[in-house]
Amino acid sequence: MSSPAPEPKPAAPAVSPPGASAPPPPNPLPQIALPFQGVDHALKGYHADATVAPDQVVFAAEQMDRAGFAIDTITGVDWIAQQQMEIVYDFFHPVTGLRAVVRTRVPRDNPELPTISGVFPGANWHERETHDFFGIRFAGHPNLTPFLLPEDADYHPLRKDFTS
Amino acid sequence: METQEDQLLKDCAPYVKFAKLDELLNLGRANSLWPLTFGLACCAIEMMAAGASRFDLARFGAEVFRPSPRQADVMIVAGTINKKMAAAVKTLYDQMPEPKWVIAMGNCAISGGPFVFPGQYAVVEGVDKLFPVDVYIPGCPPRPEALIEGLLKLEEKLTGKRRWPVVKPE
Amino acid sequence: MIVKENIATDAETGRETFVINIGPQHPATHGVLRVKMTMDGEYIVRAEPVVGYIHRMQEKMGENRTYAQYLPNTSRIDYLSAMTYTHAFVGAVERAARIQVPPRAEYIRVITSELNRISSHLVWWGAFLLDLGGFTPLLYAFDDREKILDLLEGITGSRLTYSYYRIGGLYNDVDDAFLKGTREFVHHMRPRLKMYRDLVTDNIILRKRLENIGPISAELCRKYGATGPVLRGSGVPYDVRRAEPYSVYPEFDFLIPTFPEGDSMARYRVRMEEMAQSLRIIEQALDKLPAGPVMADKVPRVLKLPAGDYCYAVEAARGRFMVCIVSDNKEIPYRVKLRTPCLSNLSLFEEASRGLLLPDALAVMGSLDLVIPDIDR
Repeated sequence: MSSPAPEPKPAAPAVSPPGASAPPPPNPLPQIALPFQGVDHALKGYHADATVAPDQVVFAAEQMDRAGFAIDTITGVDWIAQQQMEIVYDFFHPVTGLRAVVRTRVPRDNPELPTISGVFPGANWHERETHDFFGIRFAGHPNLTPFLLPEDADYHPLRKDFTS
Repeated sequence: METQEDQLLKDCAPYVKFAKLDELLNLGRANSLWPLTFGLACCAIEMMAAGASRFDLARFGAEVFRPSPRQADVMIVAGTINKKMAAAVKTLYDQMPEPKWVIAMGNCAISGGPFVFPGQYAVVEGVDKLFPVDVYIPGCPPRPEALIEGLLKLEEKLTGKRRWPVVKPE
Repeated sequence: MIVKENIATDAETGRETFVINIGPQHPATHGVLRVKMTMDGEYIVRAEPVVGYIHRMQEKMGENRTYAQYLPNTSRIDYLSAMTYTHAFVGAVERAARIQVPPRAEYIRVITSELNRISSHLVWWGAFLLDLGGFTPLLYAFDDREKILDLLEGITGSRLTYSYYRIGGLYNDVDDAFLKGTREFVHHMRPRLKMYRDLVTDNIILRKRLENIGPISAELCRKYGATGPVLRGSGVPYDVRRAEPYSVYPEFDFLIPTFPEGDSMARYRVRMEEMAQSLRIIEQALDKLPAGPVMADKVPRVLKLPAGDYCYAVEAARGRFMVCIVSDNKEIPYRVKLRTPCLSNLSLFEEASRGLLLPDALAVMGSLDLVIPDIDR
């Protein structure tokens, strides 16, 4: 403590007080060329929802990237009754706080769709995790190896027909 | 008949105690257990709390947490072990020099705890599936007092005597 | 800051590199994280985190037990801020079942969540400084943390894994001892934060270790989805409590500390400021605490959510935590997705640590405030 400290930086941080007088940032959703449908956030927990074809996900990710969205998470749902796998891409907007969901479905017997890790590098780990849990293959992924499961794992535990 | 030697032994008996070397060594070991710094999950936070200001494990001579298994006497398994981790845990145990002891802290280390269900695919159901355990401390997570009690139990196991009085619940 | 520009692997340049393996048992990784580091001397060419060493099937378990049975699991994902994690889960269920939580319960949820946030930041503070070579702050931090744990233990019965929030309200009401003790704690903590600043934050050694080390830009955070103090330390005032207001947070006057530098020191300062803001929220909530029940009436014992998917995000101590439940109108969820902040925050480490010195990279890792079971789930 005795050493001469350099000029202390101003302790006051940049803050966003409640009800700031600045105008609210513009809604980025209308400029996105995706079939978004408005959803009541109070009921669902997100503002907009779009379903796209599996080969459209890279285009969708590019659109979201351009609009300033951040990757929230990627996950799968195994709809075994319909013989489909659903892949859900969650996005959030760091400035406006908007939440948007993009979803797509692939056939369960051949679950493959392109990777979006070229657009959002953060998607890399989420896709590896989805591959772990559901066996969904992300074509073009740089490193689609087991992520949470052991290195030699060949099972996909969140598939509904999984038995250990 | 009493020899001169016997008389000498009798004379110095109040001042000198004879014991086996093993017992002496165990007394030393029991009073300065060096645990391995090995936090896995929730229980590791309570292990940290046991070593920190309020609970102060140093009072019982077990505060010297060693980051290297080569210098540690006791492994406190504090948390869930899954199948990916099991090989590393076994290696750490094998790297510890003899004599060595293991404390299974918390329900996960005892039996897999809350993470066991029919058809589970990841968790090792108890660290005693991998190597022998000396003391089990139940709880999810156990309180720091419970960890201290576990160390006292281990001391008791080493020396055959309890160094501290037992606190009876009111 | 010493950064090696244009660092490249030996395949690219022909220079000799070597690999250091850190973890899964290593004191600097705060648990069972493993990092494979390719080094060029003391400089990091590539640091690849390897996770999964404490994967505990949390999402699978969501699919084989009822909503009430799953509740204790939520405390064990990020055990340092268990309250906020339980809040996200009960919030998602309440949102789906349209359960109206009484205001007193929501206020108590805010008070306990913010107390939990402070205790979590205190553990980070102690452990981070321990990583940097200072042992004493840990003892101060745990001293103050024990005071919070005493308060929370008094009402929840647990020190770490509380499961205090229940679907529709709380496990029990708070008593006068808790309210009095919390007020006393707020008065006790303010001068302590000042002392922490004098003792540590303004310390020249710490500042030389942290300032300009490991800058993370707002753009990098966006590409990787990093949130919480990491994002706010890059100058973006994103806080779920403001962005997607939940519970009764809109009724409180508090600031979102952001620092634009993006270095390790900025992330450090964000958390220190946040503790002061949490104290403000607690004080206001204590003043406004309404009377009334703490449990909604008519919460069915067997809960079936209407079919569909429901998300609920909260601002946990480490960032944005979100629970998504997919229901098919049965007692057991069809799918439970846990979006955890540490996974996203760690995923940018590979890019942020490129070219750094090894000790600096460990300082950056500490400033991300990782809880490993939160990554692995």
